[in-house]
Amino acid sequence: MAEIDAAISVRGVCKDFDGFEVLRDIDLDLAPGTTTCILGPSGSGKSTFLRCLNWLEEPSAGSIRIDGTLIGRSGEGKAARPMARRELARARTSIAMVFQHFALWPHLTVLGNVIEAPVHVVGRPRRQAEEEGRAILARVGLAEKADAYPHTLSGGQKQRVAISRALAMKPKVILFDEPTSALDPEMVGEVLGVIRELAKEGLTMVVVTHEMGFARDVADTIVFMDGGRIREVATPTAFFTNPQSDRAQRFIRRHG
Amino acid sequence: MTWPALRTILDGAVVTAALAAVSILLSLPLGLLLALLRWRRIPMVAGVLAAFVSVVRATPFVTLVLFVFFILPSAGLELEPVPAAILALTLNTAAFSSEIWRSALQTFPRDQLEAATAFGLSERATFTRIVFPQIWRANLGPLVSEVTILLKCTPAVAVIGVVEITRAAGRVGAETYEPLPPFLVATLIYTALIATLVRGQRVVERRIARRFGWVRP
Repeated sequence: MAEIDAAISVRGVCKDFDGFEVLRDIDLDLAPGTTTCILGPSGSGKSTFLRCLNWLEEPSAGSIRIDGTLIGRSGEGKAARPMARRELARARTSIAMVFQHFALWPHLTVLGNVIEAPVHVVGRPRRQAEEEGRAILARVGLAEKADAYPHTLSGGQKQRVAISRALAMKPKVILFDEPTSALDPEMVGEVLGVIRELAKEGLTMVVVTHEMGFARDVADTIVFMDGGRIREVATPTAFFTNPQSDRAQRFIRRHG
Repeated sequence: MTWPALRTILDGAVVTAALAAVSILLSLPLGLLLALLRWRRIPMVAGVLAAFVSVVRATPFVTLVLFVFFILPSAGLELEPVPAAILALTLNTAAFSSEIWRSALQTFPRDQLEAATAFGLSERATFTRIVFPQIWRANLGPLVSEVTILLKCTPAVAVIGVVEITRAAGRVGAETYEPLPPFLVATLIYTALIATLVRGQRVVERRIARRFGWVRP
């Protein structure tokens, strides 16, 4: 796949925290309209890698392009220079994120959370944003909660609001950082169901998850990480039936 | 007590209320500004501000008033008694309230800030849209309590000749040789002023609770 066609293109990304290497030399291309699940044991660097994609963590080296546009630094190699804050903020509007612990803004209503960035960052007219926001909430089954405050919702509902907030940006890519890990077991299904629907609609999504069944059913690509490196990139069938590396075999035996 | 005597005390009450009102309006935003500057951890600035806050907090208020009125002129800042009183009150309450703002900023949930960053909110928008609307509500109690302390500090400005409630009551008492009635009146006025503040706090808190459904424990 040519680099320029990739929705997400990662080259040589490294990250260390105080000399401790968390990510080592990561290359990855993800096609537009596909769902990628990142799997791996705890501490393998999956979340850190995801957070590098929208520059919440700044990689120590390497480059990241979203839909062909560089994120975080302007220019490559020796000419690389940190992006101006405003430029970075603008770049981030095309990469939405869903967090493990929802990270909703509690002083805003559900609809307020959904339209906050479209109105105050993108500059969409409020009325249009509200209409779109209500339509998105209806899609995730929360139409009647638009005017409620987040603290009145269940965990599963909060996460669906967070997904709506991401969708409202009309992003090129949505990043999910363990979207069901903080949920009670009976609420995992409703959130995965929503993500599954989005996958069918052809959004480009990257999901860090521990839900093996979900990864097997929904992902177009499995990325397996361990020790800060990508060990395997494969289709779910290939990964789950015929893992190439010892580490992946052990991982599947333990979790699959 | 005669009517002119009562008038004297009421005039003092107007002075006290005006001093307090102006100082509140100046000191709370200034305290927030100090806290924000320290939050940014700008190397030199943070240290200087921390030192300023520590010194003001450690200085007895009367001493601070005398300092502003008698020492600042030698640094080129000569103020009439009332502006000097306002400056002293403002510095004092700014220093104390900045600690309230600072702890509010420090304990603000990181994930909310991260979400704001991830969705492209600028630093300014993150503060005005996400942080400030939450921290002022959450800290209304401590802030109002700081303001009542400010009100109770106001008699100290009598040392530079500002005639506020207590000073006025003292004068009336000295002239009539009956100190009890004027000080009773003074106490009533202080109580009314503070009751107004606390009542205002309750009204706002109730409105917040009604809107957001937060039930206070």
